[in-house]
Amino acid sequence: MFKYLLGRIGAMLLTLFLVMTLSFWVIRLMPMSIFENPEVSPEIQAQLEAEMHLDKPMIVQYFYFIEGIVTRGDFGTSVKVRPGLDVFDILAIRIPPTVVLNVFSLLISLPLGIIVGVAAALQRNKATDNVLSFLIVICISVPSFVFASLLQYCLTYVWPIFPTLYDSQATTFGAQLYSMVLPIIALALNPIATIGRYLRGELIETLNSDYMLLARTKGLSRTQATIFHAFRNSLVPIANTIIPMITGIMGGSLVVEKMFAVPGMGGLLIDSILAGDHFLTVALLIFYSAISLVTILIVDISYGLIDPRIRVGGGK
Amino acid sequence: MALHDNDTILRVQDLSVSFRAYGGMVRAVRGVSFDLRRGETVAIVGESGSGKSVSTKAIMGILPANAVIEGGSVLYDGMDLTRLGEEEMNRIRGRRIGLVFQDPMSALNPIMKVGHQITEVLRKRMNKHDAKARALALMEAVGIPDAPRRFNQYPFQFSGGMRQRIVIAIALAGDPEILICDEPTTALDVTVQAKILDLINQIKEERHLSVIFITHDLGVVAHMADRVNVMYAGRIVETGTAEEIFFEPAHPYTWALLSSVPDLQTHERLMSIPGTPPNMIYPPRGDAFAARNQYALRIDFEQEPPYFSLSDTHRAATWLLHPKAPKVEMPEILRERIKRMKEEAAHA
Repeated sequence: MFKYLLGRIGAMLLTLFLVMTLSFWVIRLMPMSIFENPEVSPEIQAQLEAEMHLDKPMIVQYFYFIEGIVTRGDFGTSVKVRPGLDVFDILAIRIPPTVVLNVFSLLISLPLGIIVGVAAALQRNKATDNVLSFLIVICISVPSFVFASLLQYCLTYVWPIFPTLYDSQATTFGAQLYSMVLPIIALALNPIATIGRYLRGELIETLNSDYMLLARTKGLSRTQATIFHAFRNSLVPIANTIIPMITGIMGGSLVVEKMFAVPGMGGLLIDSILAGDHFLTVALLIFYSAISLVTILIVDISYGLIDPRIRVGGGK
Repeated sequence: MALHDNDTILRVQDLSVSFRAYGGMVRAVRGVSFDLRRGETVAIVGESGSGKSVSTKAIMGILPANAVIEGGSVLYDGMDLTRLGEEEMNRIRGRRIGLVFQDPMSALNPIMKVGHQITEVLRKRMNKHDAKARALALMEAVGIPDAPRRFNQYPFQFSGGMRQRIVIAIALAGDPEILICDEPTTALDVTVQAKILDLINQIKEERHLSVIFITHDLGVVAHMADRVNVMYAGRIVETGTAEEIFFEPAHPYTWALLSSVPDLQTHERLMSIPGTPPNMIYPPRGDAFAARNQYALRIDFEQEPPYFSLSDTHRAATWLLHPKAPKVEMPEILRERIKRMKEEAAHA
């Protein structure tokens, strides 16, 4: 297990490095100039360029960029969105709301998705299943920002239960969370439906498997056999859907954050791309990749926990 | 039939099972009756789709949801198993009747340690320590070397034959008195088959089990069964002691089955039975085997044959045994084979 983990982390760091390289080159080769403010005198501009190594060839800049990140955790300085501020400090303020939003969406979608999937599978082809399957199709095919508008209309305007926008003045975490309930729900609907749909299919298949029959012939009741034998087996392929789900949540949160005025990474990324604040854009891209990679790592580890064939396999 | 009636431990009477399908009801089992006596092995032989597995699933109460028991009974210990509820059946499955599956590759839960899969049955009645001790003893009994280490391994770390031993250990864990083996060697290598068959015979002796043995392979039956039921299209077409079925077969289908067992001594071309079993959504009029039967009479296409008794234990459902039927002998090749088999049996 330890060796398996070490291998995964190694592969993850390598991927992260490739992402860093790729995003540096792709973003920095974009036609926008970093400085285009006519009020800055050429001398100061030259001085700043020298300070940021912008006067050197790209390949040299690339090594400065890598060196800064690896040795000092220095992602550079913002030049347009928050001129003069350290990119890392900007991220430090903007990351928490996004993380709270994404993590809570994920946390509620896992159990709810599992409940939906199990209920649909056990009631296969009956009324419950048909209703759930119908809702699942809707939740998968309609993008999260449509649900966001709907929720905003219904629960803040028609029945004013929740605040329309993110409460940036909130003093407690609870109050902050309360103002994020709607975006969390909007982001969670799609993953709930995805998990539900996959789990339903997997569970129906495992319920018909030979080992379920064997479990029944041992004298286990249908419920016991389902819990002890079918459920865990159907989680193996479900773990796979979690990776695209998390990137889906993050992609959705780019837009949804903006709709609810959540001061997170989503708005920042859009602003920095539009403004041509390349240092900031690159840092944000790296951050998003890092999050994805960490999720993939967690999923890989959970594979090992769920399925012994991966944990023990090979090392006979 | 009434020879040792007190010894009858399980009696299947006129059992009929159908499946709801899109085209209508598939009549998988049509009035099957047989007795299982204490300490005896009864074989049920037939092609795929003849209804042999469905019969055992009906006995165990693990038919799929679209199956309907249309009639008949399974009498066991004063109860009719077809009428018991889930709760009561859960107490019988595993503890009174054990089942060995056809395919050990898919019968074990792939992500659960085999030890746990064996003790799962035992944990209801004893603590963890005792259950483990018993499971280890069972693993040794079914011939798994190095049981303490194997106990904590997963199914994928076992070979096919070893997995089948685990499945047998699971079936034995509840200490049942009836063991149903549903094609236990079909999915295994030929070299492993014989070992598993020996194992089943051995544990049957040691534990005084009564065994229902399902197979499509008459060659296997010869080593196992005291009595043989030959099934075709949901019906038992011939029943008798193993000797009667092998040495004096009376039904053309049994002849065909016996002729299709490979024979290494004569290098004859392997006989096969032409055609396929009938579609049981629309059971044919008359004898279901008639269309593939080279000895079929006109009445075979009009009326289903009743059972004709050849001895106290031997019955066959074929019009050929009717007093007015033309005298038809079994194929010459088969007659020679049987002669040879008899000689071998005499030498053994």
